[in-house]
Amino acid sequence: MGSEMHTLWSQWLAQLQQVAEGFLQPLSATHPLVILPLNIAGFWLALKIYRRTGTPILHPVVGGSLLVFAGLLLLGVDFPGYQQGSALLYLLLGPAVVALAIPLKQNLVMVRRAGWPLMLGLVVGAVLAPLVAVVIAMLLGGSHTVLVALATKSVTTPVALALTEQMNGIHSLAAGVVAFTGIVGAVFGPTLMRLLGIHDERVTGFTLGINAHAIGTVRALEISALCGAFSALAMGLCGALTALLLSVLTST
Amino acid sequence: MPPESKSWPGKALHWLLGAGLLLTFDLAGRALAASLPLSIPGPVLGMLLLLLALMLYGRVPYGLGMVAEQILRLLVLIFLPATVGIYFLRDLSGGDWFALIAAMVIGTLISLTLTAQLLNHLIQRRARRRGEHGQ
Repeated sequence: MGSEMHTLWSQWLAQLQQVAEGFLQPLSATHPLVILPLNIAGFWLALKIYRRTGTPILHPVVGGSLLVFAGLLLLGVDFPGYQQGSALLYLLLGPAVVALAIPLKQNLVMVRRAGWPLMLGLVVGAVLAPLVAVVIAMLLGGSHTVLVALATKSVTTPVALALTEQMNGIHSLAAGVVAFTGIVGAVFGPTLMRLLGIHDERVTGFTLGINAHAIGTVRALEISALCGAFSALAMGLCGALTALLLSVLTST
Repeated sequence: MPPESKSWPGKALHWLLGAGLLLTFDLAGRALAASLPLSIPGPVLGMLLLLLALMLYGRVPYGLGMVAEQILRLLVLIFLPATVGIYFLRDLSGGDWFALIAAMVIGTLISLTLTAQLLNHLIQRRARRRGEHGQ
């Protein structure tokens, strides 16, 4: 494992160097100094609007991405160019997922108290979420590509990207499915819980983590630290479990 | 552990230590994922490894807590590039789009409902049982 750690370290350094080189390029619409402020402005403005209005439909995930998309259209930048300019944010994706361990640790006592019902709910939820989606798409006559992308629905974005690579799905489609599912879950999840008469924040958090992963966890963290902790736990375990199940299923 | 320093050089040092820890566990997770035959994502393994380490350590180091709070507040910003990607999907037929969107919206609502109901039922039953035994 030591040598692997070393290769990964040099890979990471190469990535960092790429980010740095991006900044040294001549100024253009895809330059990080244009794209990064666009990202930050979109995020900041969406957050302001969301706090002012308070409607879940205008969650920063929705508002921010729409604002950034509008900005990209105005600048005439395509998606690869945008991705290149956002390289710094991609670099933060891994550490951000790892950082979810902290709210988890801080609420571990509550997690332990909930015990085995959570684990049972996790297994059922992890199987159910992609299954329901794939069955609906099948009934509506979705193509193989669509079905593969939907199969990765209950995992986080970086996971989905790794999985579809093995299953020959379209990359951006899987990322899109994960993001869109997350938005649907984050926007309607808490309201749906209230309609179902569920006021237990542990249940809300765990359900959001399984069905809406990272974006659901962002929403859960807004409800409370406890809710966020359960969401982070569910997301982590569900990601590991789905990845495991899918790689077993596709290897046979 | 020395008492938590509140002066800015001490804070900066703790911050760097925290950031270094996040990065180390990210890389460790990736290394472990690469050495396993199954494709479990590296950062998710890194998160579980860090949780394990924090459980053994007993508490969250000051700097790590500080960095984590900052990075989690920016989570939406960090996920923006992946989210914006959905507006650029063009390579699908009309029927595929319909099946995809219906499956995502209806499927997510159904699985949200079922998961929540099941969890709620299980947790409440357990709480009732515990109540009977006079917790």
